[in-house]
Order: sequence, then structure tokens, then C-alpha cells
Amino acid sequence: MTIERELETIDVSFNVGPQHPATHGVFRMVLTVDGEVVVELEPVIGYLHRGAEKLSENCDYRQAIGFQDRTEYLSQFNAELCYVIAVEKLMGLEVPERAEYIRVILTELNRIASHLMFMGAFSADLGVFGTLFMYAFRERERMQDLFEEISGDRMMYSYFRVGGLAWDVPEDFVERTRWVVQQVRQGIADIDGLLTKNEVLLARTRGIGVMNAEQSIDWGFSGPMLRAAGVRHDLRRAEPYSIYDRLEFDIPVGENGDVYDRYIVRLEEMRQSVRIVEQCLDQMPKDGPIVAPGLKRVLRPPAGEVYMRTENPRGEYGIYLVSKGTDKPYRLKIRSPSFCHLAALRNMVVGHYVADAVIILGSVDIVLCEVDR
Amino acid sequence: MSAAEERREPGVKEATIVPPPPGSIADKFQQALPEVEFVAHQGLLDVVLTVARDDIPRLMRTAKDDPRLAFDYLRCLSGVDQMEQGLEVVYNLYSFKHAHNVTIKTVLPADDPQVPTVTTVWNGALWHEREAHEMFGIVFQGHPDLRPLLLEEDLGYHPLLKSHPLAEIEESQEDFLRGEALAPTAVAAGAPPAPVDERAAKIALAQKKAEVMKKAREEARAKGLSPEDEKAFVQEALKSLEEGK
Repeated sequence: MTIERELETIDVSFNVGPQHPATHGVFRMVLTVDGEVVVELEPVIGYLHRGAEKLSENCDYRQAIGFQDRTEYLSQFNAELCYVIAVEKLMGLEVPERAEYIRVILTELNRIASHLMFMGAFSADLGVFGTLFMYAFRERERMQDLFEEISGDRMMYSYFRVGGLAWDVPEDFVERTRWVVQQVRQGIADIDGLLTKNEVLLARTRGIGVMNAEQSIDWGFSGPMLRAAGVRHDLRRAEPYSIYDRLEFDIPVGENGDVYDRYIVRLEEMRQSVRIVEQCLDQMPKDGPIVAPGLKRVLRPPAGEVYMRTENPRGEYGIYLVSKGTDKPYRLKIRSPSFCHLAALRNMVVGHYVADAVIILGSVDIVLCEVDR
Repeated sequence: MSAAEERREPGVKEATIVPPPPGSIADKFQQALPEVEFVAHQGLLDVVLTVARDDIPRLMRTAKDDPRLAFDYLRCLSGVDQMEQGLEVVYNLYSFKHAHNVTIKTVLPADDPQVPTVTTVWNGALWHEREAHEMFGIVFQGHPDLRPLLLEEDLGYHPLLKSHPLAEIEESQEDFLRGEALAPTAVAAGAPPAPVDERAAKIALAQKKAEVMKKAREEARAKGLSPEDEKAFVQEALKSLEEGK
């Protein structure tokens, strides 16, 4: 069918954001549209730039842990873990086994909490606001309560320390966690049942925002975004850190690299995280030290540098840390996965409808604090 | 151990330079690029190669295209201000095909921080290089778009340089915008002379610099210079200020 063009159309540019619920934070995209179709997109970031890297260079190694929470505010334990491992690598520290297990349990629970946040926000982007958001947040809340009980704070945990943990977990930690995991397992099943075969989801997400494997690698994608394109790569398996080499889990991958696959990969990842947590609870030593022995109060890692990377819910989180042998990091660069994903947003969105731009942005699962640092 | 004893502990420990083991990625680079010279050492996780900046385009292109290396993934690109030793650009690469890593480093002189771009090799470098440009003033030759990414336009300084103080300059800028000169507080007659206030001196210097920059920029705009020339003009004005004092 051909439509005769009677009216000449002009391209219109407009802002989405910086304050806009669909941008998941303070983020602006300049969209140029021809009718309903996006012909150009320019992401504008930097609204939340607080200079976390510069600030970290001006406080000592222990204080800099706090900035990791504030950088990655949806998966704080994951970010802290990357940073403390980076310092431990510089110092050549061995972490007690019990601390390693507690770290991995909290990190994986945090991964689930972060993905639940994605599920809730993503369903709101899709227009099925309400039920699913509440289901996701009900489960997330159970974990938040647990984290608060352990660390003393709902969001800014600062619980991991170089060489171990700040203090031991409560006595009923194992039982509490088992209960939470059991509840969450049901919660994941609920979300799966509500959303996966949902007509709205299927119609709006398949074939949208496609990045194939080659493009994804070229743009520096990682995490679920990369796995959705069919690349079976997970740093927990490819370069195991902490105790991940002892744990069994699968790496879910997608086929088409579209929005739907990113959703499916994250859903499956939550199940794998539950598996990991359950294994850890079984294997964890009942008691033992939680901090490496003989640690000085003021840390002075020997001069050197390391690029430590861990698998965060959003992808490869990297800390490039340069030490000059003093008590402060000489240089701390945060490689944030969302930053790399946003750079390719234009390539994912151009050619789609305006309404799809919102879903594609949602599927990236950005944390703007981590992008701007 | 008491806190005082801890403080006495000698702080700086020298890093030991360990050559990479035979058969490492450094040898593969040597085979693929026999004419490029580099210094290799074993880092904590990856092998680190230090190369001259002129070799960067050739080395990076080969690193991606040579099937023995196949570094198809740019993990991270960081700038580091090494002060007297100049500015460093650090590339962390990964190969999905061989699952191996390498860190490539190049050192740029601080007065001429230019390095060829690697955006022609990996698209992922686009934003990393923009960030390193605004934070350190490193110019990536051939980069299509070096506008500021995280910072505002016309900031006039590079915040991650070690020469940039952490807080004072921001405060002083606010003062400058408000037009408030920080007059030295009046000293009561007979009181001992106040110690030299370093912070006030820093602020005064920053204010002066900002004034000179603003004036130079206005002059340049009045002349109708291109943005590059305008930048050079402002730099020139700053230089003459520093030399003058």
C-alpha cells in the first residue's frame, strides 16, 4: 500500500527530561522525530555528576567505600565488593572464608533486588503499572529489611571492608535469609506468570532496540545487555573472583538482543542468584573470623595499580585503582556499565517510535548516579 | 599497636617490576608487531604494555584485527595524572575469542597531551575519550566529537588533574560570580600579624585567573575567532598572566 504524500512533514526536536519519569533519574534525551518515528537522538548526561572519582582520591581507602554506595545505588553491595577486592588485590590480602560467603550471599541478594527494581520500573514503562510494580517491591522490601538489619542502613550500607566485613551478621542470619529466599522464589514465579506471556509485553518488546552480538561487543556492552545478544559471558564464570569458582549456576542468554530478551535474561538471572544464595547458605562456615588478621587501621597498599572488574546486575563494573603507597587512592576510575550502554542508545532507538524509545531506555536498566559518578 | 606507632610506619613501599612469564600476551604482541617497541611487565591481574603514543593507532588496529590477539572489547579507558611524568592513558582490552586480557599504557607530556583516537577501532571508546578529554585535557586526535560530556561547557579547567584543588576553586567561583572580593579581615592594632592565609591566596589567584579568562574570551569573540582559536587565545592570556607574576 502506498500513501500519497500531500503534506510536507518537518522534523521536530524536543527534550525528554531531565525531569521525566521515563528517564529513570536525571537524564535528558534530545529526540528529533518525523511524525512518530525517531530520526535522531542525543543523550545528554552529567546532571548527577558529583565528582565521586575526585572525592575518592581525597579520602582514605576506608572512607572511599561510602562513595561506592552512592555511585551504584541499586546494587550497593556489588559496587562495594568490586572496590574492596581491588584494594585487597593491591595489598595481597586473603579474606576469611566466612566473610567471603556472607559477601557473596549479600551480593547475590542485592542482584535480585536490583533486577526486581528493573521489573517494576520496566512494567511501568510498558504501561502495566500497578500490580507488577507492587509485586516486585513487596519482594524487594523483604531484602531491604534484611540489609537494614545487617548493615544499619536501608540504602547506603558501607558494610564491606577491605579484608572482610564491618561486623558479623545477626545470629539468625541463615534462617532469615532462607526465609527471604523462599519468599523471593515465589515472587519471581509470580512475576514470571504475570508478565512473561503478557500480550502487551510481547507486542511491544519483541524486535525492538536490537543490538546483535558484534555491535554489542564493539560498543562495550556487558551484563544482561550483552547476554541478551547471545554472548555467553559472565565475569563470575569467565574470571572468577571471591568464591564463585565453587558455585554452580547457569548463564542465561538471549537470541535476538532485543528488549524482550533483556527482560528474559534478567528474570532467569534472578533464579540463578537464588540458586547461588542457597548453595552459599549450605556451605557457609558456622563461625569464624570475618576480617583478615593483622590489618592496620590506616591502610597503605603498596604502590601499584589494578583494574578489578566484577559482574554487577547492570554489567561489568570496573575499578581502576592506582596506589602510590600512601593512605589515599592516587587515582580511582569507575568503569560503569550503564555509561557504556547509554553511549549506544542512539543506535538502539533511531528508527523506532517515540513510545518505544522509552521502553528501550527502560530495558537498559540505567542508574544515572553510576553514569555520571 | 597504638595509633602513634601506626602513623610512624613507613608509608611508601616501592612496586616491584616483574617481567611477564614466557608465552604471555606480550610475546603475541611481539610476534604480531615486531617493529613496535614496548615495555612489558606483569601487573596484578593483566600484563601491562607501555608504548609510545605514535604507535597507538597501529598497535590498537593490530590488537583488534590480528587473529592471534583479537581484542574486540575495550573494557575501560582511563586517564591518570602522573604529575612530573606527564599524563597517562590506560586502555584495558579483552578478547572474547581467546578470553585474554591486556592493559596498554601510553604516557603523554603534560604540555602537549595529544594522542590519536581509538574510536576508529572500537565505538565504545567514544564516550570514554570524551570523559578523559574534559577531566584531564587530553586531546584525542581524530575524535569526532570532543564536547564536554559530564561537565558544563566553558568550564576552563580540568577537574581530575592533580593541580586542581578539591574545593577552594569552586567556592571562589561562587564568590566571583557574586562579585564579592574576599577582603582581608581587619586586624586590630597591636595584635600579632596574622599567619599567611594560603586559602585566601589560592582564592585570589583563582579569581584573577577567572577574570583574565573572561576578558580574553570576550575579546576573542569580538574578533570573531573560531572556537579552537578562541581556546588558544584564552590559554595564551593565562600563560602571560602566570609569566607576569
